[in-house]
Amino acid sequence: MISFLQPWVLAALPLAGIPLLLHLIARREPPTVVFPAVRYLQAVTREHERRLKLRHWLLLLLRTLLILALIIAAAGPSAALRQAGGHGPSALVLVLDNSASAGQVVNGTSRLTDLRAAARRILDGATPADGLWLLTADGIPQRGSAAELSRVVDSLAASDRRMDLGEAVTTAGQVLSADSRPGGIAVLSDLQATALSPAQVSTPLLVIRMEGQNPPNIGVASLNAGSQPWTVEGAPVVVTLAGDSGRSAPVTVSLGGRAGRAALALVGTPSSIAVPGGASGWWTLRAFVDPDEFRADDERLAAVRVAPIAAASWPSGDQYLQAAGAVLETNGRARKGPEVTVGSLGPAASIVLPPADPAQLGAVNRALERRGTGWLFDVIVPTPGVVDSGPLLGTERVLKRYRLRTTRNSASAGVLATVGGEPWIVRGADVVVIGSRMDPEWTSLPLSAAFMPFLDAMINRVARGQIASLAAAPGDPVALPDQTTGLIANDRKWTIEGGASFRPPEVGVYYLLGGRDTIGVLTANLDPRESELTPASDGEVRSLWSGARIVEPGPAAAEAFAQVGRADLQAPLLWLAFALAVTEVLLASGWRQRT
Amino acid sequence: MTYYGTHQYVAARMSTATPFQARPRFDLLDPLEASRLAGLELLTEGVVEGFLAGLHRSPRRGFSVEFAEHRMYQPGDELRYVDWKLLGRKDRLYVKQFEEETNLRAMIVVDASRSMAWTGDPETLLPKLAYVQRIAAALALVLLRQRDATGLIAFDEVVRQVIPSKARTTHWHTLVRALRELQAGQGTAAGPALRRVVDLLRRRGLVVFISDLLLDQTTALRALKFLRHRGHQVMVLHVMDPFELELHGPAEARFEDPETHQAVILRPKDWAEAYRATVSGVVSDWRRQCRSQGIQYHRITTDMPFGLALRRMVASPSGLV
Repeated sequence: MISFLQPWVLAALPLAGIPLLLHLIARREPPTVVFPAVRYLQAVTREHERRLKLRHWLLLLLRTLLILALIIAAAGPSAALRQAGGHGPSALVLVLDNSASAGQVVNGTSRLTDLRAAARRILDGATPADGLWLLTADGIPQRGSAAELSRVVDSLAASDRRMDLGEAVTTAGQVLSADSRPGGIAVLSDLQATALSPAQVSTPLLVIRMEGQNPPNIGVASLNAGSQPWTVEGAPVVVTLAGDSGRSAPVTVSLGGRAGRAALALVGTPSSIAVPGGASGWWTLRAFVDPDEFRADDERLAAVRVAPIAAASWPSGDQYLQAAGAVLETNGRARKGPEVTVGSLGPAASIVLPPADPAQLGAVNRALERRGTGWLFDVIVPTPGVVDSGPLLGTERVLKRYRLRTTRNSASAGVLATVGGEPWIVRGADVVVIGSRMDPEWTSLPLSAAFMPFLDAMINRVARGQIASLAAAPGDPVALPDQTTGLIANDRKWTIEGGASFRPPEVGVYYLLGGRDTIGVLTANLDPRESELTPASDGEVRSLWSGARIVEPGPAAAEAFAQVGRADLQAPLLWLAFALAVTEVLLASGWRQRT
Repeated sequence: MTYYGTHQYVAARMSTATPFQARPRFDLLDPLEASRLAGLELLTEGVVEGFLAGLHRSPRRGFSVEFAEHRMYQPGDELRYVDWKLLGRKDRLYVKQFEEETNLRAMIVVDASRSMAWTGDPETLLPKLAYVQRIAAALALVLLRQRDATGLIAFDEVVRQVIPSKARTTHWHTLVRALRELQAGQGTAAGPALRRVVDLLRRRGLVVFISDLLLDQTTALRALKFLRHRGHQVMVLHVMDPFELELHGPAEARFEDPETHQAVILRPKDWAEAYRATVSGVVSDWRRQCRSQGIQYHRITTDMPFGLALRRMVASPSGLV
């Protein structure tokens, strides 16, 4: 049986009548030319009349067939090589989208249940000679027999991870390219439009569109706890809702399981809600909406640290730092005191800058060495550069800096930001060392909007030992600070090598440990794109995945392996069209030469 | 075969015109250009004068070979007419006189059918009939100047004009008037016209048949052969328009015969080569058929200067002058 990828192209089939139409139009009204030697023409045409008629009909036939071949080829035809009774050894990758959105409930059943059932039906049609892979939201293709993969399918739960279907299809294609058997890909998904991305598909691709409409949904897209640490008075948090079920919904924010503060929030519009603080320490902040058919995005988490604001002392001779300190004090983000010394090495936590007088550099280095920071000021580097790493700071110009030299074995230990690949901000013991003075002659930072948040983070978090406050989606790799030795979340612990990356397996708050201290937090929340349940149309699917065939779950089991055994007729038809075109040219030109 | 076109005619005019020649060489001009310069009579005279001047031969030299008598040689006679055999026998100089030299009867038969009124490009070419009117007038003048009786028959589907042969010089004006009044008819029937020649030329004479030969070849050839059988010298002047030699036209056209209104629909580009071959075959066939019967055959085109056309007729083994 022949099927078409773009059957609507066949609507152009009447265009095949164009040659005949042109022929009839051309025959109808040729201009009349008075010519006395018509008897010579009659003599010529009498001799060649039969050949002429044959040639005209042949050309008409060739041109009609040429257009037919092009139109049918454009429709993407394919034909089954075998009957439905069985299939030869095939390779099939089942892409099963068990991302968070698969947890949506449709007609009383979770979408994942339907997807699992469809996957099992496909696996039931496999033979021992087939090569089978299962690719789920974790992105790792699993190979196994039909029975093994069926068991895996049965045990699948909706993951907190997002699944990029374009990447999954590409990965599936790479898996198949290593197998000599004719291969195909079957995609089982709720076909969220936000999950689709372009992919080059060189193998037959079957997309199973599940029955039933995806339900309307609303969820918490973001939760911003603001500047940290909080004071006991608390702070305003900003909540943004996403979804397609309405324009507004009540949202509640609670800290550490206490009674929350509720507000009506508009979808897509950030809403600010004041939340009271608690005792000093780490707290989990939750923002949630009323339950709907898709529960996974009804709640969003954030980690909040409650602590007194830093008591800092500011250098008297540095106008920029003095002014910044005054602003922070005015806004309640700092107070005067000896807890953090800014600009030079103090008795407690310190943020050390290069001395204004180079002659004092030796004394500063000796003091740093005595303190055991492990970092010293080296030679001055006059070459301008930009800050190129670190979650602490964005891109800032650095015109002049001291090279920072470590006295320890690991050159990267404690590096918080780099310029041109070399350490620029480092931390050792309770001391932060910055390679440039906070002066426009040294760096553009004092004049930028990032200066105040930078200083706030430096005195309240970094200098006091809280290195990072990170956020990611489950499954996404996160680069952890060098000082991290482990993570802990809900009584689960992970031991981490410093500087390694970590993929949070599920939604939650992960505390970063540096030895016995908590040095930061990683918050894993659902990718907000999962809240958009609107499915992609067939046209969108085909435009992103050229050649994809979209079927209902019913015939999917039979089609999954049948598509592997299908022959693509597009290329043969294009060759046929080429041959017809060449024949037409040869016939036309050859005729002229003969006559 | 190279004919003088517009550019060649200019070159010819430049090369032949001298400060002492006030009149252009009509015989070498482009036919259409020459026709614009002078009327039929003046043009024809100019053509003939130019033609004879360029010929550099005595207008007395006749083409007829019918010997009449001897007479005593007189100073001034051309030596080529001296009978050298008689000198050997009688030791006296005699010159040969030919009867036809002064009594040749010629009949010019002109095709005035509808097809003769056609021209492939009115901007650059004379219609075939207009060309024939001029070449026939010139031919008549040449013949009359050598005191040959000359007549004219014009025909289309019927015989239109019949002017018996006369040798008077003033007779030329009669012929020119008849030619000038000649209008293209409809069909072509050469047989009756050629049979009429038999009635008009009782003695052996010269028949010049001027036509585009778009006629019934079998009938025409039979009549021409009959004339030849009667002892007449027969010359066929096949007049063609240059646009009849090649097939031109729009991408596809309905080609219609102006006489029969028969039509053929075709694409000129497809058939150009075959048409050229067919025309060449037709010309070859006419030439072969005529030669087999001792009939002179000349093909001329309407872009050919009149002088060259006359010269072509003269260049035959038994020339007109």
